[in-house]
Amino acid sequence: MAIPGAVGASIVDYTTGFPVASTGAAPNSDHEAAAAGTADVIQAANSRSLFVSAMPHDLLEDLIITTAAGYHLLRLVRTDFDSRLVLYVWLDRVRGNLAVARRRMQALADDLVAS
Amino acid sequence: MSPSKTAAPGRLLTQAAGERQTGALVVGGHPGGTVYLIEGKVTHAESAAAPGVGELLTASGRLAGRTWQAALDAGAAAARVGELLVTQGHLTQGELELCVLGAIYDAAYFALAPASAPAEFVDGATHWLGPVVRVDVSGVTREARRRGRMLDAIFPDGRLDAAPVIPVPRPPVERVTLTAAQWELLVSADGQRTPADLAQLLGRAGYATIQELRRLAALGLLELPEARDHQNETPAFVRLPGPPGTAVDVRRPVVSLDDGPLVPVAGATTRSAPVPADPPAAGPDSDGSNANGTIYRPPRLTRRKPGAKLPKDLPPEGPPPPGADEVLLKRIRTALRALR
Repeated sequence: MAIPGAVGASIVDYTTGFPVASTGAAPNSDHEAAAAGTADVIQAANSRSLFVSAMPHDLLEDLIITTAAGYHLLRLVRTDFDSRLVLYVWLDRVRGNLAVARRRMQALADDLVAS
Repeated sequence: MSPSKTAAPGRLLTQAAGERQTGALVVGGHPGGTVYLIEGKVTHAESAAAPGVGELLTASGRLAGRTWQAALDAGAAAARVGELLVTQGHLTQGELELCVLGAIYDAAYFALAPASAPAEFVDGATHWLGPVVRVDVSGVTREARRRGRMLDAIFPDGRLDAAPVIPVPRPPVERVTLTAAQWELLVSADGQRTPADLAQLLGRAGYATIQELRRLAALGLLELPEARDHQNETPAFVRLPGPPGTAVDVRRPVVSLDDGPLVPVAGATTRSAPVPADPPAAGPDSDGSNANGTIYRPPRLTRRKPGAKLPKDLPPEGPPPPGADEVLLKRIRTALRALR
């Protein structure tokens, strides 16, 4: 399934910052640095009670970071077993549609597990 | 290849990959591990410290125990367990691949972490799960090294990775903030479970577990393992042989000279007297283990406040328990009195 405007993507283990799989381009042509950065961001968001409230099951779903170079979408992949994975997509600002991309990422993350 | 010899596991693996070998690199030591190659690519890895695919899937509840067992029974001989689970609809291909990938990097870290260990390449060995993914060896070795560096950056004490996890009874700060994973670990830590035990129990990756434990240690929330040089200390008491006919307990209590009453047991050793400001922690003790290597540690007693006086009188003695050594008892009491 295509995400229009996507420049690159990877699946990252956010406890270690390791790109389990990656495709396309990465910022600064460095998938490993992008993965490490992705992991840092996810861990920061998960560990601050600001973003994760006291309500049960109020789990982090995704993060969108906008830079001049594009959108960086991070979507947590939910598996029943312990996997700690996040799907990262780098989206071109001009060619990409944020709303469409976000919905497609949601479907993609579910698809990874369901197929 | 060659008979078992001590070598750098990472280098052996790279060598085997370069030669596009098929087989398993078996790394000894603790916890050790095994990395499986097919034509020079990694297809699986296992380690005692990393829960396997089965544990990850059953402990989380994704697969029922009997489903997993049935797949094992049917598929292990033909190395098709993973394939069976997917074709029978118990697991999706995506789930299997993600699970196996995680398990590979997790176990490979423990297998490749030691700088040198007894390692042997077994030609032709295959894993019963069957080939699910194929990963470059260079990526695996690089990631294993990076994980080691990450751990040291959090807290540079490697003894934590294998020692029983003991939370401190009194945190060093007034307010403690924990992640969910840290909570799970602390709640399940019973003073005897090692990080590997906790990982298996909770169905979480072995590396993620030791990573969180190092973070807890950096926060001061875990007891650090005692330095294992007690054999160099001269013990204050000589261990006398028990009277003939007394059995030695398989699990022999380690008695620490805290506030509580002293309970003599046949063959018990006592440690040297505590320095007032620094009561001994109930860590692993080299002179407390017996031939079987098991150590029984009773629940920790409350700490004596630094500078507090020792009790004036010893608690009244009852009749000595059967098998107690009277001479040993007298020596202990004399030594205690001499402390004040």
